[in-house]
Amino acid sequence: MRKIAIYGKGGIGKSTTTQNTVAGLAEMGRKVMVVGCDPKADSTRLLLGGLAQRSVLDTLREEGEDVELGDIRSEGFCSSLCVESGGPEPGVGCAGRGIITSINMLEQLGAYDDAVGLDYVFYDVLGDVVCGGFAMPIREGKAEEIYIVCSGEMMAMYAANNICKGIVKFAKTGVVRLGGLICNSRNVDRERDLIENFAERLGTQMIHFVPRDNDVQRAEINRKTVIEWNPEAPQASEYRTLALAIEANKKLVIPKPLEIEELESILMEFGLFN
Amino acid sequence: MSHQAINILDDRSGQVLRNGQDPTAKIACDKPSAAGSVSQRACVFCGARVVLYPIADALHVVHGPIGCAAYTWDIRGAQSSGPQLHRNSFSTDLQEKDVIFGGEKKLTAALRELIAACRPKAAFVYSTCITGIIGDDVGAVCKTLAEETGIPVIPVESPGFSGTKKDGYRAACDALYQLVGTGSTEGISKHSINLLGEFNIAGETYMMKDYFKRLGIEVVSCITGDGRVDELRRCHGAKLNLVQCSGSMLHLAKRLETDYQIPFRRISFFGIEDTAAALYDAAGVFGDPEIEQRARNLVSLELARIQPELRRYRKILKGKKAAIYVGGAFKAFSLVRALRTLGMKTALVGSQTGNPQDYQQLKELCDPGTVIVDDSNPLELAKFCLEQDVDLFIGGVKERPIAYKLGIGFCDHNHERKEALAGFEGMVNFAKEVHASVMSPVWKFVPRRAKRLSTKKKEAA
Repeated sequence: MRKIAIYGKGGIGKSTTTQNTVAGLAEMGRKVMVVGCDPKADSTRLLLGGLAQRSVLDTLREEGEDVELGDIRSEGFCSSLCVESGGPEPGVGCAGRGIITSINMLEQLGAYDDAVGLDYVFYDVLGDVVCGGFAMPIREGKAEEIYIVCSGEMMAMYAANNICKGIVKFAKTGVVRLGGLICNSRNVDRERDLIENFAERLGTQMIHFVPRDNDVQRAEINRKTVIEWNPEAPQASEYRTLALAIEANKKLVIPKPLEIEELESILMEFGLFN
Repeated sequence: MSHQAINILDDRSGQVLRNGQDPTAKIACDKPSAAGSVSQRACVFCGARVVLYPIADALHVVHGPIGCAAYTWDIRGAQSSGPQLHRNSFSTDLQEKDVIFGGEKKLTAALRELIAACRPKAAFVYSTCITGIIGDDVGAVCKTLAEETGIPVIPVESPGFSGTKKDGYRAACDALYQLVGTGSTEGISKHSINLLGEFNIAGETYMMKDYFKRLGIEVVSCITGDGRVDELRRCHGAKLNLVQCSGSMLHLAKRLETDYQIPFRRISFFGIEDTAAALYDAAGVFGDPEIEQRARNLVSLELARIQPELRRYRKILKGKKAAIYVGGAFKAFSLVRALRTLGMKTALVGSQTGNPQDYQQLKELCDPGTVIVDDSNPLELAKFCLEQDVDLFIGGVKERPIAYKLGIGFCDHNHERKEALAGFEGMVNFAKEVHASVMSPVWKFVPRRAKRLSTKKKEAA
């Protein structure tokens, strides 16, 4: 079983990219589970066709410890398995602790057992690794490969660099490695060159450049991944390519985060600061 | 175990001093505990909890996991002449789910239920480590409940990690201060005081109040012994503040001095010297010769009553050595003097929260050779107890096992005790307890003494 976590700046398109990629893998016949690690619980909507998913933590709150896997895990597109960790409403409680509790619960309930026959588990984690709780998916025994979604915008790259620092910390004590950057294009000038260069300096690779295409939004409005909404669309192929690239990926590294000066110098070099 | 085998941590060496060796030496104090030293100090929350605990008609709700409430439940031997509400330890019992989703709703529900059921005059809501970390807005919940119920609902900002026990005292004083000035001061005598840092352990406040009644001085509010919310509301009308437990209450005394121009005096009711000094000091402030005469009469009457018994104990206890380790330094001064009254020497003395002035005073008060420690720990205390070969340890619940494991007599002088040790009567109780413990035949059989006795026998043979 490949254990993968997707990180990246808030709003960069982590959930969209994850679900579309998972759709690609599921379409190829892989058994995939997606674990949404965001209190907003919006990581599986496209795979489930908008189906309101009961989150692990809501179930725990309402039904106590007596929870069964079937209560919190739903089947989505091409038999993909969908779980939402969930969490508190904005501004209260401790969402980080929620992630820890919910992943522990999934383990106890046997969601990762061999009997399930998973080829992949994807953790879709909110924004930056703001506290220990949100680093839970990359601790020992959880996700082993990280992909960071970013774009050619400075703040997205800044966040990616910061996430790399978190990976370095956990790589020292565990097996977690960086698998690559996924560039979710914002149509920034020379974006592909920029991210390829950035990835190289981090010691990793740009695993795929996902072009900007409004079909993604069209599919989303229909509560579907692009592959499900229109299998013939060019964007569907992009996600299939990304899925294949991940499946074939052997380049797993401990990244070398950049100093801020170096990060800014890349941006200068590629013309953004002119 | 030999005392030489125990080393002082490098980080702590500045907080240990042998009196008389260097008259200019200063003891390091007033700082966070050294990591790994296993300080005898409690946490911020516990500091706040013990100070506010005796307010008997208030609701005390601990917002945190159940342990915080359980370990501080009924933590003082503080008595109440009326309501007993303070002896409960209400808690929101936060659990995993509450940590994730926030504890504010649970706190709101708990306060609503408790205020309806107990009809308190006010409620104190203590924040703990957990609520501090998850960021529950305890202040906002308190404000809502205060509006809803019409009683003061006061947040106590006391997450355990946010400082030392002293910061908890401060948090408690700040919470108390929200009540000050909200009541009428009408009818308060011009000869009136507040007693600060007197906690009515084993009914000691009743004794103090009786003394002041006999002097013709009105006690407006005892903070917080046998405490009542309505008394606290009008305590700003008193003409003088007497501060006994200085560690906990100086902050409040200073605020009352700044905002209401009420002067304060640090006093102590432990030991006959200090009790007499406290009464004279208070009586002197009002410039009324009649009150001063009444003070002299009271002191001589009480002394005459207890002196014969004290003399009897003194004869037996003369030359015995004691170790003292208490929370506030002011109590340590009193105990050094009280032991002197009994003919005993102080070989080791220390406090959890003393400041530089306190330790200077302690140096002047103690004999040469006395070991003085700040913010000590079990190993250090054990080392010096063995080295000084003390006959008695005076401390609190956390020092008791240290003394007993070493085979040393123990006298509980902390807030958990059930024996009144303040005032003139308290001095007799103190002497009685010290005598019973020091002179118990059991100590002959503990290893450190038994070994010595057998060596002596051999030498004699």
